[in-house]
Amino acid sequence: MLKYLSVGLIAQLLVNGILFGTMYGIAAIGLSLIFGTMRIIFIAQGTMIIFLAYICYWLFTLLGIDPYLSLIIIVPLSLLLGMGIYQALFKEAAALEDKNISLLIAIGLMFLMENLMTVIWTGNPRSILTIYTSLVFRPIGIDLTFTRLVALLMAVLSTAGVVLFLKKTLIGMAVRAASEDMVSAALVGIGPHRVNAVAFAIGIGLAGIAGVSLATIYPFDPFYGFIFVLKALISLALGGIGNVFGALLGGIILGLLESLASFFLSGGWSDAISYAVFLLVLMFKPEGLFVRSIQKA
Amino acid sequence: MKEKRAIILTVLVTIAFAIVPFFLDVTTSYFGYFLFLSFCYTVIAQGWNLVAGYTGQISMGQHAFFGLGAYTTAIIWLHDITKTGYYFDPVTMILSGLVPVILAIIIGIPLLSRLRGDYFALGTLGVGEIIKVIFVKGGAFTGASDGLHLRSTVFESMKPYYWTSLFLALFATAVVYFLTRSRVGLALRAIREDETSAASHGIHLLKYKIFAFAVGAFLAGICGSLYGIYLFHINPDSVLKLDWTLYPILMCVIGGTGTIMGPVIGAFFMNALFVVTDIYLVQLHPIVAGMLIILVMKFMPRGLIGLIDTIKSRRL
Repeated sequence: MLKYLSVGLIAQLLVNGILFGTMYGIAAIGLSLIFGTMRIIFIAQGTMIIFLAYICYWLFTLLGIDPYLSLIIIVPLSLLLGMGIYQALFKEAAALEDKNISLLIAIGLMFLMENLMTVIWTGNPRSILTIYTSLVFRPIGIDLTFTRLVALLMAVLSTAGVVLFLKKTLIGMAVRAASEDMVSAALVGIGPHRVNAVAFAIGIGLAGIAGVSLATIYPFDPFYGFIFVLKALISLALGGIGNVFGALLGGIILGLLESLASFFLSGGWSDAISYAVFLLVLMFKPEGLFVRSIQKA
Repeated sequence: MKEKRAIILTVLVTIAFAIVPFFLDVTTSYFGYFLFLSFCYTVIAQGWNLVAGYTGQISMGQHAFFGLGAYTTAIIWLHDITKTGYYFDPVTMILSGLVPVILAIIIGIPLLSRLRGDYFALGTLGVGEIIKVIFVKGGAFTGASDGLHLRSTVFESMKPYYWTSLFLALFATAVVYFLTRSRVGLALRAIREDETSAASHGIHLLKYKIFAFAVGAFLAGICGSLYGIYLFHINPDSVLKLDWTLYPILMCVIGGTGTIMGPVIGAFFMNALFVVTDIYLVQLHPIVAGMLIILVMKFMPRGLIGLIDTIKSRRL
């Protein structure tokens, strides 16, 4: 294997890793926002991504809407969906001390959605084929797939969007305040339900973007969501919870790790490597790799 | 007085279950299989109950211990290591419980000393996935993704499975019951309520947490061993799947975590639900299960035990 090794190949591996990792990154940002205000790991995030990927698939096959154009429909839809899920399922549970209840509702939701999707779309993998699916640029001998480049662009733009929203708008600042300390935030008049609902809506909104990126790049099936959310969790741990840019970088690092590990070892071991790195980070740097000041966990 | 009544009731129920095979052919009856599986779920759910319900450490790696127990049985059997009978051999089963205990201690020392709450849950989930990859990539020793095949010709009747699973369910419940009523149980509950306060009262946190984690691993391993003998074909997809962590958690929570009877009620209830929806709704069954989990959590967060208590207190 090593005799094929060249600078070009390494560069290709790195590029692939970065491009794929951005998708983990967007999912991780969603998880991070929801964790920030509600202190739960929304384990159904990956399943929501797949669900929205299926919506994108339907819009494409039934109505002939271009996947990227369908973002105009999918993003508002997923924002509403997030708000709706919070209001319908998590509103009471979020106020309880026992966080296991919210976690279990999320697990129940994951079960429900996975199997609902299997009934509607069957368990066979689906993919979207457009004229630009196999479009490749080769600027310096490195293959750059068009769809992956767009995914990277969408990831960077949505990360920037989320950061601006959190820094510049009043409700965004309220979300940040609630993530720091919910009790103090409530004391200065921030309604917990409102920030929770906003965090949830944005989390699922990002799932919509990730879903479109995924649908244009890879074939997907209903049960892929759980693996995806585990990867997003690893990215989150690498980047540090509550750090939006960190989550994106964490995703990219994970993408790089997987890309390199699956080349130098073999496909199966790459999962073990990513979990091992995840464990090491959890143990020795639980606040994430990109945080300078040590905060109370 | 109340306690005595509960013990007598438990003995009576156990005897009633124990004589079922004399009236019902458990080998061919679906109901026999249902009871067997419910007992298995009870064992692993009680293990999780001790770790999470009583000690407050949410473990998401029980499937690793379960799978390790099943694989230990298969490897001992195939390589003829202990030179005992293997088919329902207590030595093999106990060893299959002890191997997961060793793993629990090895991973427990770093994980339990450094990680708390969600981080511990995620850490154990990571360990579980690593173990799975190791078994998939284990080559001839673990049979890779095809797994290991045991000699299924020894199978004669379902009866020994039924009685063993009943015994294990009773054993697991008794272990948790007597542990939680001892000094150890008091220490475990103190850790669950407030770690700092427990430590300041002279409780060695790590020692007790590892103890609970190891007992949970032992129960999962011994249950995996029995289930492995039942399957005769052990592969990562059957014994190392995440369901073996998720189902016990669901059962404990639906029944009532941190109670003795909660996991037992939860195991029977969830298993009955799986079976009924599987028969009558076929493809829709996981959807109904998912919906039910959401509804139970939304409307009775303390589980079925909580519901029973509410009804009782209303009557008074």
